Amino acid sequence: MERELQQFCDIPHVGGAFVCDNRGEVILSSHPAVLATVAMNAIGREVGRSLLALEASGHGGLRLDYAFDSWTLFARELGEALVFVVCEAGVDVARVRMTMEVTMNAWQNDSRAQKRLAGWRVERKQLVIPPAIDQNGYLAWNFVQSENA
Amino acid sequence: MADGLSGNLVQLPLRHLLKMLAAGEQTGRLELRSGLELADLFVRAGIVVHATADAAIGEAAVSTALGWMSGSFRFEPGLLPPEISVTAPLEQLLAEGSRQVSERELLRRVIPSPDVVPRLAPTLPGESISISAAEWEVLAQITGEATVGQLARNLGRSDLDAVRAVYSLKMAGLIELSMTAVAPVTVVLAGEPFFHALQAAVAAAMGPLAEIIVDDALSDLGFTRATLPRTEMSAIAERISSEIREPGKRSRFQQAMLAELRSHAA
Repeated sequence: MERELQQFCDIPHVGGAFVCDNRGEVILSSHPAVLATVAMNAIGREVGRSLLALEASGHGGLRLDYAFDSWTLFARELGEALVFVVCEAGVDVARVRMTMEVTMNAWQNDSRAQKRLAGWRVERKQLVIPPAIDQNGYLAWNFVQSENA
Repeated sequence: MADGLSGNLVQLPLRHLLKMLAAGEQTGRLELRSGLELADLFVRAGIVVHATADAAIGEAAVSTALGWMSGSFRFEPGLLPPEISVTAPLEQLLAEGSRQVSERELLRRVIPSPDVVPRLAPTLPGESISISAAEWEVLAQITGEATVGQLARNLGRSDLDAVRAVYSLKMAGLIELSMTAVAPVTVVLAGEPFFHALQAAVAAAMGPLAEIIVDDALSDLGFTRATLPRTEMSAIAERISSEIREPGKRSRFQQAMLAELRSHAA
């Protein structure tokens, strides 16, 4: 899995890639890491919560692309984990997205990768249970749930 | 139309499509793509009630989309608009769209692109000339080096607004136009070897209609085999890959195309 993550860095303007478990904690990263561990953990938690909220509101998705002024974050749902690729402006978006799909398809058909992912398995819903979430976040989560109950 | 409708704007222009949706009193979202531009039009009981096209919203977005001569569309029935931004009736939207298309054509004959550089005319054609305040603002910015597009950005206006003012100034004989200050833009084309590889990969994944599938995808993105730039090769590959339903075949197609893209980058 490390080798596949490292391949993202061969694409021009890709800063790096990492994988977070369903608690948002980074479990694999390209080398050198594209961001500080604390930043990768924060991204993992917030995107995990976004996916939970989307799922609760009937818009469950497998892919989220975040475009900022000078960088883009691609996030993909891998069941037991979340895969992230961090890119600078000017990246070939289509190439990154196809590479992500090929990589995730390879991991889903690789028993060793599946075994490693199963070892990191945790329920994503832990992200929205106090104390993992602050009071405002918890209120927002309850609102999303009640609106879609 | 319960399962949606998709197609090409060349074969079914937007104005006909909107009339069709109105006649059928359809409700849903019409997604349009022309080159890199995207638009969403929401119709409710056949009436256009909301539209966005890049930065434009409302009637302006409908007019923008009506000006697209090529591209693709997809109608998703049942989707409701997030807001109401269009109140004009369809006839008025189509008339305004036609007016803007005619106007753009007229402007294009004099100012073929925002890369044109306006310069002050050495002599005036008459004793006195009247111009509007908006035209004066543009005239005051003309340096003989800035393009129409740069003037628009300097003044915080759209390219179309600046082109309109420059057109009026040109017609009044106050300025001359030239392309000389603009460095030619070199576009590296994808080339025939890429299409050989693409078509072979499509044939392996989707069968004997590969040539048609490739041409349709090119048309959807507003290109032809002769005009596809190298920078858009991956976009074509991704678009075609999204049409391959069988995951194994899709993955093999993507792997083949990623290898091809790497070879071009090397």
